[in-house]
Amino acid sequence: MIPETKLNILQELINTSSKEEIIWINGYLNGLVSGHGTPATAKSSQPVKKISILYGTETGNSKKLALQFTTVSKQHALNARCTAVEQYRHEDLVKEGYLFIVISTQGEGEPPEAAKKFHDFLHTTETRLENLKYSILALGDSSYPLFCKTGEDVDAQLQRLGATRVLPMQKCDVDYEQPAEDWFKSVINLLGAGQQALQPVADVPALSNGAARKHTKKNIEGVITRSVNLNDKDSTRRTWHIEIRADEELDYEVGDSIAIVPTNRHEVVERIIELGKADAGEQVTLAKSAGTIRELLTDKLNICYLLGSAVKKYAVLAGHDIPDIRMDLVDLLRIYPLKDGTPFSEVLNILHPIAPRLYSVSSSPKMEPREVHITVSLNGFLKQDEQHYGLCSSFLGDLAVDTVITFYVHRNRSFKLPDPDKDIIMVGPGTGIAPFRGFLQERDVEAAPGRNWLFFGERNFTSDFFYQTEIQQYHETGVLQKVNVAFSRDTEKKVYVQHRMKEHGKDLFNWLEKGAVLYVAGSKVPMSQEVEETLLGIIAEHGGKSETGAKEFLEQMKKEGRYQKDVY
Amino acid sequence: MADKQYTAVERIKLASDGLRGSLAASLKDELTGAIREDDQALIKFHGMYQQDDRDRREERSEKKLEWLYSFMIRLRLPGGFMTGEQWLGMHHVAGEHATEVIKITTRQTIQLHGILKSHIKPTLRSFDTLKLDSIAACGDVNRNVTCSAHPMESPIHQQVFEYADKISQMALPKTRSYYEIWLDKEPLLNKEEEIDPLYQDRYLPRKFKISIAIPPNNDVDVFSNDVALIAIIENNELKGFNIAAGGGLGTTHGSATTYPRLATVLGFCDTEEKVLKAVYEIITIQRDHGDRTDRKQARLKYTIDRMGVENFRKELELRCGFQLEAALPFEFTERIDHFGWNMGANGKWHYTAFVETGRVTDDKRASFKTAFFEIAATGKANFRFTANQNIIVSDVEEADRSLIHEILERYGVVGVTEQSSEMRKNAIACVAFNTCPLALAEAQRYLPSLVTKIEPILAKHGVLDDAISIRMTGCPNGCGRPTLAEIGLIGTGYGKYNMHLGGDRNGLRLNRKYKDNLEEPEILAELDGLVGSYSREQESGESFGDFIIRKNIV
Ligand code: SRM
Ligand SMILES: Cc1cc2nc3c(=O)[nH]c(=O)nc-3n(C[C@H](O)[C@H](O)[C@H](O)COP(=O)(O)OP(=O)(O)OC[C@H]3O[C@@H](n4cnc5c(N)ncnc54)[C@H](O)[C@@H]3O)c2cc1C
Ligand SMILES: Cc1cc2nc3c(=O)[nH]c(=O)nc-3n(C[C@H](O)[C@H](O)[C@H](O)COP(=O)(O)O)c2cc1C
Ligand code: SF4
Repeated sequence: MIPETKLNILQELINTSSKEEIIWINGYLNGLVSGHGTPATAKSSQPVKKISILYGTETGNSKKLALQFTTVSKQHALNARCTAVEQYRHEDLVKEGYLFIVISTQGEGEPPEAAKKFHDFLHTTETRLENLKYSILALGDSSYPLFCKTGEDVDAQLQRLGATRVLPMQKCDVDYEQPAEDWFKSVINLLGAGQQALQPVADVPALSNGAARKHTKKNIEGVITRSVNLNDKDSTRRTWHIEIRADEELDYEVGDSIAIVPTNRHEVVERIIELGKADAGEQVTLAKSAGTIRELLTDKLNICYLLGSAVKKYAVLAGHDIPDIRMDLVDLLRIYPLKDGTPFSEVLNILHPIAPRLYSVSSSPKMEPREVHITVSLNGFLKQDEQHYGLCSSFLGDLAVDTVITFYVHRNRSFKLPDPDKDIIMVGPGTGIAPFRGFLQERDVEAAPGRNWLFFGERNFTSDFFYQTEIQQYHETGVLQKVNVAFSRDTEKKVYVQHRMKEHGKDLFNWLEKGAVLYVAGSKVPMSQEVEETLLGIIAEHGGKSETGAKEFLEQMKKEGRYQKDVY
Repeated sequence: MADKQYTAVERIKLASDGLRGSLAASLKDELTGAIREDDQALIKFHGMYQQDDRDRREERSEKKLEWLYSFMIRLRLPGGFMTGEQWLGMHHVAGEHATEVIKITTRQTIQLHGILKSHIKPTLRSFDTLKLDSIAACGDVNRNVTCSAHPMESPIHQQVFEYADKISQMALPKTRSYYEIWLDKEPLLNKEEEIDPLYQDRYLPRKFKISIAIPPNNDVDVFSNDVALIAIIENNELKGFNIAAGGGLGTTHGSATTYPRLATVLGFCDTEEKVLKAVYEIITIQRDHGDRTDRKQARLKYTIDRMGVENFRKELELRCGFQLEAALPFEFTERIDHFGWNMGANGKWHYTAFVETGRVTDDKRASFKTAFFEIAATGKANFRFTANQNIIVSDVEEADRSLIHEILERYGVVGVTEQSSEMRKNAIACVAFNTCPLALAEAQRYLPSLVTKIEPILAKHGVLDDAISIRMTGCPNGCGRPTLAEIGLIGTGYGKYNMHLGGDRNGLRLNRKYKDNLEEPEILAELDGLVGSYSREQESGESFGDFIIRKNIV
């Protein structure tokens, strides 16, 4: 129906486009067909404005938006250049005219891993940026204490350096599609490109297209159908495999996580009520939530290890000078009592919401669409040489079968399986195994032809080999071609996954050269760093490369999405 | 084609390339604590068994962990002798690589349990440096050669003891695989070529056991062995040995074609050369005529009954190239360990300590392990193990006796040895749960407490000092030789035992089944009745076993 030549061009276009780009094109064509007139790109007469778009992302949302924004801009005759912050040459800042930044917030109000350098640069540089005109699209999640903190930081620094904010910062919650769209439009209009063909923007296809799974913070209720401690009785660890079942089909993909908001411990809440001389039943309405004091302290407000900012506010309220440290609310009330007659609601006002905790899904919806599994390791730490346990991990560990819990899906666009025929190498010690259990389930049900290689590590072989019997079965049935394990406490000399990787370096590099995707999941520090060093060593040794050569090789892998991390 | 019906094990042996199989690869497999199925048959020839903690199976499966696999290692220890140094080494190995417990077996050697796959090599390396090995301690070859344990038994004990070692050496497989696989090295002691005229490449159809007894003590239960040698001593000189063959106790519940059998005396040999030759050729007959198509019919006892004793003797003499002389008279009047201190024929002192069910460990009653460790550390004693699972602290000079005794005293060993009842001291229980994969019922973990409940019954009937022999096994394989006891309790299911009665006290007469599937209350009730009538109607000097027979109770 269309001539070969055109078809080839189309095919060429499709082959070289990412999934997201194709979705966009599709939507865009829809837009055309539904008669929104010829898009701006066709009009060459327009004076072309040059703009730079920067994104800083952890789990890919900011990238996705930045790319969409770039396409939309181009479509409006804007000469847009889109760069990932980690690729951006800081000295270029002074040369920029228009700069638009899409950046998310991670950790406890920290920038994404990749954006740290840029973030630090802005905080330290003294180069004036008088000519720079900018605006920021800040991604975040309002359930976290410091909503869109990184966006705010960047904005503040650019102000400090004399740049001009041409549009107010747009903060987005987890359901960022609409606000992002609005921001796009404002920018386009601002740059005067909006005059022609605003319509296509009006429904920037990719954003509203059904095929692109909308990003909403939908709370889902599920019942715990199974909870087992995977560690054997003599283990030094506690790690729960938890299966959650909902009555609806769940909208998640392997590589995503689910976010869970824990509730505070009953006895701690009661102690706080006692120390604060609070009327537990009193109804209080706060900015984000309302309920009795007991309810708020139990389900809504963070009372553990308060952020420095909250401690400061408490110091003012209670009229004590308190060192600049993080503390639990009980300790504050105990050591620095409130002035008599201070209404307890004032304390509630300084508290942040309980932050959600993420857990990588360890199941594939293709196995059981109504189920999601997680692998939770009990987080332990010492406080005045006393053993304490993390709030959410102990909360989850204590949940009995049949308990109903609420969670929402946290998408991770930067931690996804490649095409079925691609080989993958999975490095997942400890709970890092979680996403890979999902990967393996999926590759198994889809009978994916690509080869799979797993590196797993823990403390002791007999007590800490998570999912051992499943892994054995995948190995026997040929789903896993290679598995290498390292148990650090079984030998005098500690061995970790990176040692096993080194032992198999030749083969590993061979896989990489053949295009394998390498995934690292689990603890960020020190595991993921040591793994990366080892990886560079392997590339250098077996690829006959210099140190920089190896770095470039890995950079290239990152660019091609062949080096992905899910670390914390 | 004949080997069509050969058992799987036969095929594995033939294909094993000198018992190597794929053991090396099995060891390397990081994903499991187990070894490949075929290798599980082969590793026995190297003295090991793959086991798993049967108490933990369910729980581990729930946790998505494989069963808790580990290995049991059994030493080759002819005559059950070990130097003090070697014991010290064992002590450390047991702590470092095994469950701490050192288990004395009913064949005078020791076993370590719970050794993880990754610990096998280090364990065997330590053994090697101690000049100990586990070659052929299990498997279808000649097993550990037992020999009357107590040096006081006879002035020529040493002479007889040396036979155990010579026979063991003679019947060792020639393959070097043990050294290659476990020690990554060439043999310590000089090894000849690997071609094996005795075992060839097929080994024996089944396990093979040899024992030597020095009358009047049958402490080794000599007639339960495939080959039984009875030392013939005339005015303190070793004249030679009566040779018996065809003993074996294992049976299978509900299978009439399996039965326990005592070795049949075939004749007498005088010179060492002839004795060794005769033993050697009995092995070759079993190699050539044993049933390789059915492991339940493969022991020598069945081979002999199929051939007929006369034909068997003829075949043996043919292969030997000489006639066996007529057997010389002998008499066994006891089957016991002489507990406490005894002076040996060699003028040295020996203390026989009672180690209940052979488990050397430290518990609330006594610290056996520490005691023997300290004794070994003095460098003033050797160790001997008895077929009743006890320990003899041996070769102590008169001058050191008080020192050794003080240690035994301090850790409660003397107390346990002196205060335990006769029945308890002569009781035997096999390992059974939690490590034995064939166990149907408890044995070593249960018999001690059962005896505690029987003792009051004996006391009530005034026979507490009567050394009535009671033996318990967790299944009918007979590892604790229950069919040679006056009271045999053979596990049939968890908490259930067949009661066998009427064995004699010296291991010369098999008992017979009295009742099936008894649980503890019934066992106690039955014994109350039987012991009662025994104490009332016993003829002078009559043992419980003989009484049962006289009364036709079985
Ligand atoms: C350790 C020991 C019992 C003890 O508490 O001391 C023992 C333990 C086992 N015996 Fe035994 N046997 C032991 C002496 C015996 C004896 C007694 C004897 O030889 O004086 C017998 C009866 C005599 C005989 O051989 O007929 C004996 C007849 C068996 C049998 C049955 C053989 C048969 O012909 O039917 C088996 C099962 C088999 O071989 O198929 C067996 C198998 C086993 C195994 C290896 C189970 C297995 O095959 O997986 C047991 C290991 C349990 C564990 O966890 O340790 N064991 N076994 C004894 C070690 C002796 C040694 O040092 O070599
Ligand atoms: C993308 C992602 C995926 C993840 N996947 C998994 C997974 O699959 N499995 C998994 O187990 N975890 C996973 N995590 C980690 C998980 O989200 C939680 O961080 C972890 O469970 C700890 O949370 P917690 O509430 O138990 O501990 P928290 O209570 O949050 O404490 C965490 C740490 O804060 C400090 N702290 C807290 N309270 C105090 C105090 N009072 N005094 C001093 N110090 C204190 C301690 O250092 C403590 O270790 C993931 C995290 C991310 C970001
Ligand atoms: C570990 C973690 C910590 C987070 N902390 C914050 C935070 O402190 N403040 C906030 O506004 N959002 C926070 N978020 C939410 C993310 O910013 C949000 O999911 C965003 O869509 C991620 O965009 P990205 O995929 O481009 O990184 C956090 C997310 C994760 C995974
Ligand atoms: S008699 Fe049975 S249960 Fe006892 S050790 Fe032997 S094989 Fe195991």
